[in-house]
Amino acid sequence: MARLDLAVLRRSPWGIAAAIIPAAGMLVLVKLLTVAVTAQPVALVVADRGPQARVMAKILKADTDSYLLKVVKTEEKAQHLLEQQKVAATIVIPHGFGRGVARGNAEVHFWLNNVNIDIADDIRRSVDRSVVQFDAPQFGSSAAPGAAGAGLAVPNPYRVDITETDLRRTDVSFDLYQVLPVLLLLVIALGILCGALLGSRDRERRTHVFLELSPLRRSSFVVGRLLGTLLTMLAVLVPVVAYLAWKGTIAPPHGHWPPFLAILASTAVLSAAVGALLGIVLHKASTVALAAVTIASYLFFLGGGFTTIAFLPEWLRTLSRAVPTRYAIDGMRQTLFYPDLKGVAVDLVVLCMFAGVAVLAGVFALGRRTA
Amino acid sequence: MVDVRAVRSAARLEFAQLSRSRPLVLLVVLEAITFLVLVSLFGLTGARAPTALIDYDRTPLSRSFVEHLDAAHHSFRLLPMPIERANDEISSGNIVAIITIPKGFSEQIRSGGTTVLPVTVDNVDADLTADVREALPSAITAFATSNGFPGVRVSAVEHDVIDHETGYVDYLVVSALALAAFVVAGILGAVAITREYEGRTLTQWRLAPVHTGWLLVGKLIAASAVAAVAITLAGLIVVVGYHARPAHVSGAIAALALCVVLFTSLGALAGALFRRTLPVAALFFGLALPFYVDSGALEPLRFDFERLWTAGHFSPLYSAIGVLQWSFHGLRVTPESLAQNTLVLALWTAFAVLVAAAVLSRRVVRA
Repeated sequence: MARLDLAVLRRSPWGIAAAIIPAAGMLVLVKLLTVAVTAQPVALVVADRGPQARVMAKILKADTDSYLLKVVKTEEKAQHLLEQQKVAATIVIPHGFGRGVARGNAEVHFWLNNVNIDIADDIRRSVDRSVVQFDAPQFGSSAAPGAAGAGLAVPNPYRVDITETDLRRTDVSFDLYQVLPVLLLLVIALGILCGALLGSRDRERRTHVFLELSPLRRSSFVVGRLLGTLLTMLAVLVPVVAYLAWKGTIAPPHGHWPPFLAILASTAVLSAAVGALLGIVLHKASTVALAAVTIASYLFFLGGGFTTIAFLPEWLRTLSRAVPTRYAIDGMRQTLFYPDLKGVAVDLVVLCMFAGVAVLAGVFALGRRTA
Repeated sequence: MVDVRAVRSAARLEFAQLSRSRPLVLLVVLEAITFLVLVSLFGLTGARAPTALIDYDRTPLSRSFVEHLDAAHHSFRLLPMPIERANDEISSGNIVAIITIPKGFSEQIRSGGTTVLPVTVDNVDADLTADVREALPSAITAFATSNGFPGVRVSAVEHDVIDHETGYVDYLVVSALALAAFVVAGILGAVAITREYEGRTLTQWRLAPVHTGWLLVGKLIAASAVAAVAITLAGLIVVVGYHARPAHVSGAIAALALCVVLFTSLGALAGALFRRTLPVAALFFGLALPFYVDSGALEPLRFDFERLWTAGHFSPLYSAIGVLQWSFHGLRVTPESLAQNTLVLALWTAFAVLVAAAVLSRRVVRA
């Protein structure tokens, strides 16, 4: 059974391509998003030539995380860039800024293309931070009571300072944080599409009659089908994982490889079983492709592959607990980005339970059909 | 001269075939809604980071500070809770940060001193961490300004180019309508042609005493009509569910209709080139997401790199989103004018129909 299915899938390169294309599309999307969510293009006009204006300009120029600054000479030129959408905002340090600082009422003006609140708020926050840095250059350097340096507050005119404690030793880049779950999308799409394709193909070509007539046991039939799908998935996934590991993109901490591979394996079994179930329901390749890609997308998105679950409304967070891929994605991030394996055992157990239920449902449904 | 009879017959045939493919039609409708859901999920993660708030001071001044945190440019979703629970939640990844207002907060401020707020951040994702880090100074400056603390010498004065604010999800769902039209109409247009290849009925086109182009037009009319139903449903969800009322109703209807016709035609072209349903369906889905981002769906594309903006012109979604954002939110998201974007969409449609007809005619002759 496995050999037959493997041979069928080998002769269906379009089916494999159909599973790879959405994951490849998602990869490109994440890469493009990395560009979109980082610094915004902003034009800077320094109309004042005094030392205070230079300090303000230096602060703005130094904040390369927030701005892609283009320094222009006149406000008219900056306005033109804004109209042409070459910049999202223009910041003007006006003439007389230095005198304003001396009087205590200096202003930094910014013209903002507030096309939506996401981009507008990003720029507003960045400008506020730059302004704070002018009046409170040591902002953020206080120490909280109880920390080393016991309660040292560096005075600033805002009368509030913050002391930040990071939960992790290192920050993971947005790119890496979002890109690696795409590997799981590939696993899910491959499993569902290949599994479903085999079932629908049997119906479409009417070869299911031969399978029904063969003296196969129900369990052999299902296990064979799953094995055929899994072997096909392995043929695609092993080179991908090996390449990513060789490139250093997948670099789990010491001892995290086994749980990482276990997560991939259980997700593969789960998606192959879901695919096999789908193949029973749908009988046409066109509907299989659409349904498989849709289901894979929902599983990926609701599992937190492209979003941060904690940001979602309560009902969606509750719903995501019933989505098996949430445990796969959580577990994968924990094994790759965190120094410990907190919660991975639970994630693996839940994932295996979901996979087990899917396989049993497959045994029941496929067996009933062949009977 | 238009062969009305051939067009009508081809359309009727396509309607009949679609009525026999109900799972496909249902999935296509579901697909249109799926994109709205997916982009909404993404939009929800762009703002209001869930943040634990522990207020040990509980005075009017600390409450005023909390109000400023809450108003800090849609940055925080503040969740008051005890410290033990906050520690638990942050280690489970349920919240992004913990902000603690210490006891004696107001006393220290009233006496002219500086109080220190301990902030714990789950820095697993650099983007979220940066948002939290930048939002706190915003709240602190607003707090100082509203209380008139002396010594603050510089303030930021904002001038908005647009007289109204558009929510991020509201913006995204309108762009998602173009995406939904791309996938739904594209797949239906493609399936209308691939079915002829897979069923080997394309040879019968040769026997028809009319030009292949009219048969194609008939099939496209039927596929567009079904796609229009799905997009209308998605549009109604945007208007009723998301309260994104179109600023220009007739403009919105016309833009969506144009998108449906264009993407059905592009689908037919893809169908004629690939000749198989399976890769075409996946291709439209796979292309949709990168096309979506590289078309100004999240923000005006030119704000990203100039090269991306240039590349975006090769995608019809770029102009489609330009027209849709204007018609729904009254926004100009491309440097090109509305008329230019509409013209580009019309040219894309003509190009797709003509090339698909040419490809099909050639294949029919070969057959």
